[in-house]
Amino acid sequence: MISPRTLRNLRSELSRSLLAKLGIAILAVILFTALFAPLLAPHDPTNQNLDNANIPPLGFTATENQTSSEMVDGEVQIVEEEVVVNTTTAHPLGTDSLGRDVLSRTMFGARTSLLVGLFGTSIAVVLGVTVGITAGYYGGRIDDALMRFADVMLAFPSLVLAIALIGLWGQASLRIPDPLVAFGIASSEMPETIVLPGTVIVVVALVNWVWFARVARGEALSVRDQEYVKAARSMGGSDLHVILRHVLPNSLTPILVLATIQIAAIILLESSLSFLGFSGAQLSWGFDIAQGRQYLSSSWWIATVPGLAIVAAVVGINLIGDWLRDALDPGIEGQGGAP
Amino acid sequence: MTDLLRVRDLSTRFFTEEGQINAVENVSFTVEAGSVLGVVGESGSGKSVTGLSLIDLVESPGKITSGEIWYNNADLAERVEGDQPEAVDGDFVDLRRLSAAERRSLRGSAFSMIFQDPMSSFNPSITVGEQIAEAAEVQRRASANPRSTRSRTQGYGLGKMLLDGVLPDRSYTSEESWDRAVELLERVGIPDPAERAEEYPHQFSGGMLQRAMIAQALAGDPDLLVADEPTTALDVTIQAQILDLLADLQETMEMSVVLITHNLGVIARVADRVSVMYAGEVVERGTLRDVFDDPVHPYTKGLLGSVPDIDQPGERLEPIPGNVPDLVDANMPDRCYFADRCPKAMTDCLTRPPEYEVSDGHRARCVLAEREYSEADAVPDERLAGPTDDGAGPNDGSRAPDESTAPDAEVSDD
Amino acid sequence: MALGRFLLKRGIQGVLVVWGVVTAVFLLRFITPGDPVTFVAPLDASAELRAQIAAELGLDQPLYVQYADYIVGLLRGDMGYSYLRGTEASTIVLARVPATVELAVAATVVAVVIAIPLGVISATRRREPADYGATLFSLVGISTPNFWLGIMLILVLSVNFGLFPTSRRPIGLFETVAFLVTVENGLAAPMDVGAFLDGMRTWLWHIALPAVTLGTYFTALITRLTRSGMIEELGQPYVRAARAKGLPESLIQYKHALQNTLIPIVTVLGLQLGTLIGGAVITEAVFSWPGLGTLVINSINVRDWPLIQGSLIVIGTGFVLINIFVDALYAYLNPRVVH
Repeated sequence: MISPRTLRNLRSELSRSLLAKLGIAILAVILFTALFAPLLAPHDPTNQNLDNANIPPLGFTATENQTSSEMVDGEVQIVEEEVVVNTTTAHPLGTDSLGRDVLSRTMFGARTSLLVGLFGTSIAVVLGVTVGITAGYYGGRIDDALMRFADVMLAFPSLVLAIALIGLWGQASLRIPDPLVAFGIASSEMPETIVLPGTVIVVVALVNWVWFARVARGEALSVRDQEYVKAARSMGGSDLHVILRHVLPNSLTPILVLATIQIAAIILLESSLSFLGFSGAQLSWGFDIAQGRQYLSSSWWIATVPGLAIVAAVVGINLIGDWLRDALDPGIEGQGGAP
Repeated sequence: MTDLLRVRDLSTRFFTEEGQINAVENVSFTVEAGSVLGVVGESGSGKSVTGLSLIDLVESPGKITSGEIWYNNADLAERVEGDQPEAVDGDFVDLRRLSAAERRSLRGSAFSMIFQDPMSSFNPSITVGEQIAEAAEVQRRASANPRSTRSRTQGYGLGKMLLDGVLPDRSYTSEESWDRAVELLERVGIPDPAERAEEYPHQFSGGMLQRAMIAQALAGDPDLLVADEPTTALDVTIQAQILDLLADLQETMEMSVVLITHNLGVIARVADRVSVMYAGEVVERGTLRDVFDDPVHPYTKGLLGSVPDIDQPGERLEPIPGNVPDLVDANMPDRCYFADRCPKAMTDCLTRPPEYEVSDGHRARCVLAEREYSEADAVPDERLAGPTDDGAGPNDGSRAPDESTAPDAEVSDD
Repeated sequence: MALGRFLLKRGIQGVLVVWGVVTAVFLLRFITPGDPVTFVAPLDASAELRAQIAAELGLDQPLYVQYADYIVGLLRGDMGYSYLRGTEASTIVLARVPATVELAVAATVVAVVIAIPLGVISATRRREPADYGATLFSLVGISTPNFWLGIMLILVLSVNFGLFPTSRRPIGLFETVAFLVTVENGLAAPMDVGAFLDGMRTWLWHIALPAVTLGTYFTALITRLTRSGMIEELGQPYVRAARAKGLPESLIQYKHALQNTLIPIVTVLGLQLGTLIGGAVITEAVFSWPGLGTLVINSINVRDWPLIQGSLIVIGTGFVLINIFVDALYAYLNPRVVH
């Protein structure tokens, strides 16, 4: 599947490129955080504590207007005063308007983003590669029909399509028990389930599979007429066998590169949908940005921190995508729809 | 005959990841006014880089590291003398000591170059006429304002490009230059030049495009045309036509031509003088007669021997065994570069040979110019087993970015 | 003329794609759970009232009749009436078009004007500080979600420094230009230049941040494409030939190399148009921009079907039109396509 030459190219490109190493480092940190979020996070990300709301990150100060009522001479007086909110090492990146720990939320948010990216891309790959290879391998009318359909799909902005589909179909969530909590490795105070926006996963796959279909079709077309494939067919190899044995392995490299870029695109798409309030996820970078947007003038960090996390994750994945593309040179154009 | 160009000890190196590559090493030669100098050699002998060095077109990672290129131009000499007396010697100017802007301004007007593959040497998305007109326009603008180098680097930025896109009439070129382009196309023998000028390169045949490239090179009325393998990419019948055209133009326009080729037939047909290059060096030079009738260097003899003789069809060809060294500085031996392929290598060849004068104007970088070959001095093969040979096979990629194709020497086409 | 035939062919294809979009948008309502009447009728509506409303909306007809009616209506410019506002959907939808077009065009202008010179500088000064800066910018630019970028711009430039407004825009470009072409009593009234200039200032002041927000991804992408394209083109033999004939370097870079670089750039931009429109939707949401994007989002939230369908169709049609324009641009830049 992956030839020694491919590995050699990957290695030599990696040793040459500082950016590729940086990308791997960034993604490794984020992956590690996402995997062990319940062990690493200082607090339960969903735990509200209004007494500790809007605490700024370490090294910053913030003031807040506080209203309190007092009994003065038998009358209730409303007192408004400006109080300085102190930072605390318990919340190194501060807290949001409900007193939830921003650092913990950002760590758990990585899980949502990465898992949606991974699941969404996987579904898109399976769908796209199946359609693309069928179209390219059989050609003729099947090909025409499928490719015209793909054109119509591409003729629609993916984000608008996703908004329409989710807005109309509603938000189904996918709950996976968190193994770290279930097996008692992490504190039982952490959330017991990972809640993923199910509709979003399906929809991002539905709006992105076309890219994979195009690439897979191109590969299938070029492989179909190779002598060894003709030979395999003439010797009575079944279509399925020929596809699995010859066509699929050849499509692997460009699909891999495209999938990497698409994960980044899907992470951006997911965060956009969460930001607009369409995803239903309560623990997502996009959702937190939308929350923080309302407190922009007083508590800038609520929207800033998760945004930086998105940028870091996408930069990391894009750097890895560049590395793979430079090393494997699959000759694909475009990069799908990042919002 | 007066000299147009005197090249002294020119060296051009490429600084690559594989190391320093000595593409051209201490090359000296003279180009006489109104004559054709043939530069001949195998692939990787440095002949193309020599041509590019002449008109200052060596690109990074390459660099001319030393040498002098004296160009005979009284006007230029007068102009330069005030600022840079050291760059002037009589009517001659050392181009290497001029400013980059000054050197650039000589391209097109003093020196011009045509290349091996006409199809890739034209911009595919601009009409042929427009591209020739550009070459004429540069000269027109320069002569309209000769004192200013600014007119040479006439700013053509993004704004002008966008304007060109919106208003096609406002292109860089003028009507005058367009007319000149059509005239040039006619001069190089393209039928219906006014219509062909409006076509794009992909609508031309290879031969026609090579003619167009010659027309483009002539736009500035250059003193010297460097032709780098001008016929290699063409059909045999077309090759002859292009050579005749070049010879004709050279004569009527009284320009000099440096004709770079691996094809001895081409040299024999048009050159007045010949320089034979091997491993970045000129190993033998002289008049066509000197070199072809009375070759001294075994390499020249080998090249001539590998051309089939039309009178004796039965005779077997004798290719020169071995490969051109890869020119990587670290691998170059401290002896005659040809010694390990030379059938007449002697102990004297274990030191670097100087250039010997064989007769007036005929020089060879070989001890055989001075003495006879003797069996007694023959070098045993193992003495030559240096870092360059031992069957390293065809060197890949590490060679100077020179010509990519071509066997040792080719059948002449006449 | 060959270009005319080429455009005609693309035009016919475009009509087919628009028809596909219309059909898909029409069918969307039938694969969406929930009866539209529920959203229109009062909560305590009787069965008769509901049936009456369904009949008024034409929802009691068989599917193919509704489809035919809808197509016929569209051909006459009739998109039905907004369920909630009762006014013609087409009026509401078309009123939103200028704002979105202004935003998309402004963003494209920002992107092209910044990115192309930046890419050229980056390509011609490789491994110099300008190149590293441009590379870093394009890497971060394609990885930043534009809604977050918009929020950060508001935070820094509007909230902290007060340089740009946070309010909804008071005037559009068309209203502004109208100051110059006012007609009174059938005669051209004197141009109100002062009002025009004021209007322009206000308009620019309001569109600056949204245009930068939407344009950054494209600026980064085009910078990247320009840089790699220019590096490739400047290594082509024709560039050496152009130098040999004495052309000034700026002419070689901009007229020769850049023009050929634009060909692949236009191709990729064609593939990225969906991203532009999707990005416009989000940008509108961040800046409360009164365009099609906010209309889609709001209409989906209240299930106002005529508005959903109308705005999706207008977006899809606009998309097809821009695609045809891009193809024409491509053919214009690359004469080999036509000849």
